[in-house]
This record gives sequence, structure tokens and C-alpha cells, in this order.
Amino acid sequence: MSRARGLRIFWAICLVLCLAGFLVSVLTGPVRTTPGDLVRFVQNPDRVHAAIFLDLRLARGVLAFLVGAALALSGAILQGYFRNPMADPFVVGVSSGASLGAVIATAVGFEAVAFGFSGPGLLAFLSGLGIVSTVYALSLRRGGFKVETILLTGIAAGALASALTSFLLFMRSDSYDQAVFWLLGSFQLAEWSQAATIAPWIALCLAASLWLARDMDLLALGDETAQALGSPVRRVRKAFLAMSALLAALAVAVSGIIGFVGLVVPHWVRLLIGPSHRRLFAASALAGGTFLLYCDLLARNLLPAELPIGVITAAVGAPFFLYLLHKKR
Amino acid sequence: MRRGWEMCLQPTRDGSAVGDMSLRHASPVLLGLLLTALAFSQEIILPQEKAGGHVPPAHVPGVAPKAGQVITDDLGRSFPRPARPPERIVSMAPNITEILFALGLGGRVAGVTRFCDFPLEAQRLPRIGGLVDPNVEIVRSLDPDLVVAFRGNPLRLVDRIRKLGLPVFVLDIGRSLDDLAPLITKIGRVTAAEPRAEELSAGLRSRLAAVDAALAGAARRPKVFVLLYGQGLWTCGGESYVNDLIGRAGGTNVASALPKKWALYKRERIIRDDPDVVFILARSAADFAAGRDRLAAMPGIGAVSAVRTGRIYEIDENAASRFGPRLVDVLDRMAELLHPDRFGGRP
Repeated sequence: MSRARGLRIFWAICLVLCLAGFLVSVLTGPVRTTPGDLVRFVQNPDRVHAAIFLDLRLARGVLAFLVGAALALSGAILQGYFRNPMADPFVVGVSSGASLGAVIATAVGFEAVAFGFSGPGLLAFLSGLGIVSTVYALSLRRGGFKVETILLTGIAAGALASALTSFLLFMRSDSYDQAVFWLLGSFQLAEWSQAATIAPWIALCLAASLWLARDMDLLALGDETAQALGSPVRRVRKAFLAMSALLAALAVAVSGIIGFVGLVVPHWVRLLIGPSHRRLFAASALAGGTFLLYCDLLARNLLPAELPIGVITAAVGAPFFLYLLHKKR
Repeated sequence: MRRGWEMCLQPTRDGSAVGDMSLRHASPVLLGLLLTALAFSQEIILPQEKAGGHVPPAHVPGVAPKAGQVITDDLGRSFPRPARPPERIVSMAPNITEILFALGLGGRVAGVTRFCDFPLEAQRLPRIGGLVDPNVEIVRSLDPDLVVAFRGNPLRLVDRIRKLGLPVFVLDIGRSLDDLAPLITKIGRVTAAEPRAEELSAGLRSRLAAVDAALAGAARRPKVFVLLYGQGLWTCGGESYVNDLIGRAGGTNVASALPKKWALYKRERIIRDDPDVVFILARSAADFAAGRDRLAAMPGIGAVSAVRTGRIYEIDENAASRFGPRLVDVLDRMAELLHPDRFGGRP
């Protein structure tokens, strides 16, 4: 089978799975609906089905897809950035920073709404970006720019933010229910306005990452080599770090922290279509969106009560993570 | 922990209105980007979103909001006063269900939570999920013309339901028996059942007054320890309405200084407090007996007055854990148990 044909098959399968996922997600839920209901609804829309099919299920499917795409793209970028297969969107502290922001917002009752984000979502977004900027600034201080420094600073800052989060949760045990929502992620509150807020940014980051993908390929050869080959390494690195942080922060702001998507999806894709970053970025976004769409289907249909989606992604992702670890040995 | 449901809940602190979002401006962008095929859906989505915004809900039956005809819920959101009772009411808490039935609206209740088991008829109604996990989709599918929620339901879910265009009336969690009649009045108003609500509250008020009268001038206030049947020594603190119930019944809750609704108590403190009476909130006689035996068997507890004199009584957890009309039954029982001499019984 030729490379090009294999690629076409990969894209076709992804697209079919994605569309099928949307269809299933519109048709399934705690309220029983049949394809017949959907057909009748399309011919003759009524208020109740409009709410169920469009406002609740489709909005939720679209948001899950967007968040999955954002996380997987962010993960693909960071794995290339750090040249480390274990990197994921949250390694530079976005997740810990964002959860700290969300928990602070719930603890102080911050409920302002802006750009379709809830109060906690907004603070999560800002503090997620804030912590990455801090990490970046700190790692630049000693003159030289080293990838390892960012990684370690990110881990340390993340640990600090997590400690503060735990402390706040301990002090305000009544925000526990809200906190679970943020710490394990959920699309329960998905709304069109959220999807509309994050979609343009995700599209922008995707376009930019495709445009810069060649430079990311060069980075794989080492910064000096890439520089020698004419790539503006410093600027490329800055742009990629900013994009990955923005993507992760957007995702967290609307859905809480959903782990493992950004880690495992780029690996799956790389195994299937190879390491070229242009293809990898586009395919990761599509596959990540599709993966999270299906995870959300499980999260809301597996049990009578909703599961936090982080439980599902971790249940699927963790075995794969272990497999990767042991393959390395 | 799945003891009395009330304790699992914390009132949502902030009641500030979450404004309606920028969907109207933003959704064309999104739909254009992702859902060209479904572009017609805009017409369907947008009017609904409007209905859930700042505008008072439009389709409460008999809407005719005149001056003085607007009522507000406990989040301060205004509702048009309905001319006739809503046809399809969704109740998001057991005490609300109970009050709706007591107001004779049982036939109009379209959905209840899985905890709504009183009166028995409520158990046959469609379930919308739990208190902290009501299912928005099921609520919407019942197509209610009124949703009655309380502050123990997560505000974010309540708002999600509201944004789907459903009128959600949110009520505070009661803190004392004095909040009961106003609660019933409010529910009566939003369901156009004022006369029945007035009758019910007046009846409850006079029963409260009768208890007060019977206890007037009682010199001694027995010390009471409340035990919630289950693992650990859970008791009610000063912020629970059960604390108020004990006070009204002429007793003193030994744990009233705890600034909580429910809290774990220490065995040593019970021994030090030396309560005269123990009330065990239990769901069945078997639970009560097990709770009593377990308490009595704890080292050191045998010396406590209530255990020595055998004044350990069962209180129906189901009635006591719901802020509804049956609380007055619980009050009557507590008052009689604490002051039998005042109620014609033998001391």
C-alpha cells in the first residue's frame, strides 16, 4: 500500500468516525430518541426537540470535538517542542494554573461572565496563561533558553499551584462539587456560546501551526542545526509555546481539565501516519476531536448519572501511557 | 456519604444572575464554520435563548404581568404571577415535591428527583435525577411550564435549564421553622394556589402556636443530642433547622455551638455534655435499634443521663430531613418526648 493511499484511508476513516460520532451523540442521551424522531424534527421542528437535539446534544458534541482538537493539537505541538514523547498540554503548568483559577473563582463566588466563559472558566483561562507566562519568564532569566529549564520550572510551578488548589478546597469544602467539575472535566454545561468563543482561536492556532510545521520538523534535528538551516528558532519556539498554552487554556476554560487526550492522541496519529508535523498537526486535531466526542458519549451514557469525562479519557489513556513507557525500556 | 440528603448539600453561595451570553452575536460565526448544513437551526436556537435571558419567562400560562403582579424567587429573579396553576411542574427537591402535593398540585407535577418518595404517589412520577445531579435533558424533555428548584441544586445546572427557556423558580434552604410558612406561600404564589397555601400555612402556624402555648413557662430545657443513624457520630450543628426544631420543642441541642449544618461529634464531648435525651434520626425501627445499641455500647457513654434513663427516641429521618409540612409532626413528637407532662402524658 502506497504512503499516499494509506494517508487517504486514514483521513477517510477519521472523517467517517467523526461524522458518525456526531450523529450518535445527537441521537443518544437520557431521553430516548430514535432516528425517526430526528427526521421528523428536521421536517417539522418543535421546541422540545430543538432544545434536546441542538441546544443540548449537538452543542455538547461540537464543544467536545473542539476541546479534543485543541488538546490534541496542543499536545502534538508540545511533544515536538520538547522533543519528548511524554509531554502533554499540561506539562508547562496550564492545568494546575487553570484549576487554581477555577477554584479561586468558586471560593470567592466570582460569577462574572465574559466571552461565553463562566466566572471560573474565565479565571481558569487567565491563570492558566498566567502560569505559563511566569514559567517562561523564569526560564529565560538565566540568559540562555533551555527546554529542560522550562519543563522543570513548569513542573515546579504546577506543583505549587496544585498545593494552593488543595488548600483552598480544604478550606472551602462546600465548593467541592464545583471543584470536581473543574478537576475532572465535563461537558455538562456545554453551550453554543462557548463553542463559538473557542472555535475561531482553535482554527487560528491550527492554521498557524500548519504554517510553521516545517520549522517544527527542523527543530527535531536540534536547535543549532535548525538555526543553521535558516529557521528562526527563537521565534518559532515562542510562537509554538504560546499557541499550545492558548489551546490548552481555552479547552480548560470551557470544560475543566481533561487529561490524556493531548498525550495519547498525537502518539496514535504518529504511529499511523508518521512524524511529519504538518500532517501530524492536522490529523491530531481531527483525531483528538473525534476521540473526545466518543469519550463524552461514554461519559454521559455509560451510567444513569454523568461521569466526569476525565475518568473516561484516563481509563482509555492510562493503559496506553503504560504501554509507551514499557516500550521505551 | 449518603445519609440524610440535606447534609450532603451546601447552599450555593452566590445567587448573582449569570447574564445571557453573547450567543446571538457569536453563533453565526460558529455555525458558518462548522455547521453550514444545519444553518437553519439558528432560527430555532435563538428565540429560545432569548427566552432564557433577562426577560422573564414568557410561557407561564396566563401570563399577564401587571404592576404588583410580579413575584420574585429567592435569587431575586422576577416571575409573572400566573392566573392559573402551571400544568407541568418539575420539582427539583423532595420538600418542594411534598409541598406541591400538600397544595393539591400533585396531578400537575411532571417530574421529581429520585429522592422524592413522599407522598407515595410521587414515587411513580418521572425522575429527573438527583439533587446535585439533575439531568438537564430529562428536565427539558418533560416540557415543564414551571421548574421549582432550591439552592441545594447546583446553580450552574439551574442556569443551564433556565437558558433553555424554562422558567426556573429558585427557593432558599430553610434555616428555621419560621421559614416554612413563607416557603409554602411562595410556592403557592408561583403556582397560583394561594388560597390553599394560606390555609396550609395558617394550619401549620396554629400548630406551632399550640406547641409554644403548651411549653410556655416550662422551667427546664432538657439537653438533647441528635444522632444521625449511620457510620460515625453525625449530629446537627447550630445552622441546621433541626437545631431550631429542638429549641422550639423545648430542648437544647448540645451541639448548637457548632457553626455547621451537620458535623461529626466527638464521643468525649457527648460524655461531657451529658445529654438528657438522645434523638436518633433513622429510616426504620431496625436502624433505630441498631443505632441505639451501638451508641449505648460505646465506652463511657453508658454513664450519660439519656442512656441511664433510657430516654433515647426514634425520629423519622425521612420527615425530619425535608424542609416541608411534616417538620411540624416532628416538632410535635419532639415536644411530647421532651415534655411529656405538658402534653397530658406521664412524666
